Amino acid sequence: MYRIRFHGRGGQGMKTASRILGTAFFLQGYEVQDAPRYGAERRGAPIFAYVRADETPINERGIITQADLVIVADDSLVPVPGAGVLAGVDKHTVILINSDESPEVWKQRLNISGKVFTLPVETEDRAELRFIGATCTGAAAKLLGVITRESLSQAIEEELGDLGHAVVEKNLHKALTAFDLMKKHAGCVSTMEKTSAANYTRPAWVELPFEDARISAPSIHAAANSVQVKTGLWRTQRPVIDYEHCSGCWWVCSTFCPDGAINVTEQGLPDIDYDHCKGCMVCVAQCPPHAIHAIAEEVAQAEEAKGGQA
Amino acid sequence: MTEVKATFYRRMKDLPSTHLLGTGTPMCSGCGGLEALHQVYDVIGEKSVFVNAAGCMTLLSVYPFTPFRGSWLYTAMASAPAGAQGVRDALDILLEKKRIPPEENMEVVVLTGDGSAYGMGLSATSGAMERNLDFLYICYDNEGYGNTGQQYSGATPHAAKTATSKGPLGFPGFKKDLFSIWAAHKPAYVATVIGTEPVDLARKIEKARSLKGPRMIIALAPCPPGWDFDPKESVEIGKLAVKSGVWPLKEYIDGKVTHTKIPRQRIPVEDYLKHQGRFAHLFEPQCNDALINEIQKKVDDYWDEVQKTTSLDKE
Ligand SMILES: Cc1ncc(C[n+]2csc(CCOP(=O)(O)OP(=O)(O)O)c2C)c(N)n1
Ligand code: SF4
Repeated sequence: MYRIRFHGRGGQGMKTASRILGTAFFLQGYEVQDAPRYGAERRGAPIFAYVRADETPINERGIITQADLVIVADDSLVPVPGAGVLAGVDKHTVILINSDESPEVWKQRLNISGKVFTLPVETEDRAELRFIGATCTGAAAKLLGVITRESLSQAIEEELGDLGHAVVEKNLHKALTAFDLMKKHAGCVSTMEKTSAANYTRPAWVELPFEDARISAPSIHAAANSVQVKTGLWRTQRPVIDYEHCSGCWWVCSTFCPDGAINVTEQGLPDIDYDHCKGCMVCVAQCPPHAIHAIAEEVAQAEEAKGGQA
Repeated sequence: MTEVKATFYRRMKDLPSTHLLGTGTPMCSGCGGLEALHQVYDVIGEKSVFVNAAGCMTLLSVYPFTPFRGSWLYTAMASAPAGAQGVRDALDILLEKKRIPPEENMEVVVLTGDGSAYGMGLSATSGAMERNLDFLYICYDNEGYGNTGQQYSGATPHAAKTATSKGPLGFPGFKKDLFSIWAAHKPAYVATVIGTEPVDLARKIEKARSLKGPRMIIALAPCPPGWDFDPKESVEIGKLAVKSGVWPLKEYIDGKVTHTKIPRQRIPVEDYLKHQGRFAHLFEPQCNDALINEIQKKVDDYWDEVQKTTSLDKE
């Protein structure tokens, strides 16, 4: 059985990508399961989707903890613990990352011995981001090696037909380009050995003793402790204030920032909390003297790493 | 006549420059509902209990994290006002028995989406108003069931595409007039607000805070994934909703409805609609002029009516 796990951010079309891949498998005659994980399906938040495909009926259910192919639509998710990109990855797992960095860099960074492929990020234009799913699916179909160009195209037409001709065409183009790009690596994804009951060793369970309700009941006694959640990791673009042009106005950015992540300092100047700014760019759009501009998060982080000011 | 003190919020400079609601919530990037909520929370403050019906905002407090400084309670979609009744009663008993001092009294605030407010929870809300429950109701209206992928709700506007109205004409129904439905109960206060008009919003919450009884607020909440626009457009779209007259800012108090901001020169609704993917089928592949005109006419009729009644008032 093939087990495939998609990682992306809400809004990047991972659910659709998993459906397209599932349908393509189905058209090849496979038994298929495809499902997104239901939860915080909000834009920018880590999203998971799963596909299982087998020649015989599938009895396995639930999330995929050990995948044969892991697809990462957004490389900024790799270091996010909650995204669990590396969960259950072993040397047989193939990883496909949408990233400008080379596969070697990722292998070294993550200390993994399995195969890594990258799909170069083509664009900074956020309008194009919605086609990442198609690109990833196209590449994945080729890596799996059991899906034809025709099945992939038909799956896209079936799944996206509702959205109109132009959308289908654009997705087809993206998916087929990626499909062809992976030609040399066709069929490199292998399936895991079947777990047999005979040599099964049970995982090391953690025993949790039954606790008094006053200890185990979910009451939160801290105020505003959500600040411990670093939503700054969602960001793909970073707003940067140019204080020379900031007029110290009537606090437009601070009031409009949906997250309340901009506070005004005692000097009367706005200050962006990058631990929590989700990168919506409302402040960039609203600042009256246009004193806030957007830079790619990657670039900002590279600058910071060099010790410079972003 | 209800006594209302002069407002503290006269201009942008009077708005708080640091914010009470904690960051780090899982609301979408660019969420217009969260934008309104953090502004509301700055005025309400930490002496509050939020009673939250299932929806996007129930994810604000996911164990073990909360952005609130006061309390928060989760209820089923249809029953937040009933939950609020229980909390209010409990607080009143504690106060009466002097088990908490008056300064520890809290404002009970219902927080729900439009799916709850316009639909599933309407009956419980009607009951709460009937019992003259002393509470504040904040509905963030993203015009659909946002949390579950934007299915249509009683608040979905005519022609909008949703996950359950995908046809070429979008949603065939019309947005319910919840403001009037609520006002017909004659509660202490009803108002519409939007996060993109923060001074108007702060004043209304301040006014609601100074009153007793049911105080009902509807905040239009531009929703990037549900309405299909880039998160950075969130505030602009809210402003266009007001400028085009699609979202009238008004309040009801003492049996009278007053418009707090009348757009002097209304922009065409088209300018509001065309920024949102949920209305893209009105413009592509061809412009559906008939449908756009129909939407425009509804808005024009509304404001003609407002004009008539306000000029009557002046006489
Ligand atoms: C009785 C009931 N039906 C369905 C659900 C599933 N559900 C959870 S949130 C939600 C959407 C609520 O929509 P709305 O009130 O508009 O809030 P939003 O999600 O837009 O914030 C639904 C249908 C539920 N919790 N309870
Ligand atoms: S779905 Fe819409 S209302 Fe819900 S959190 Fe996201 S932006 Fe806000």
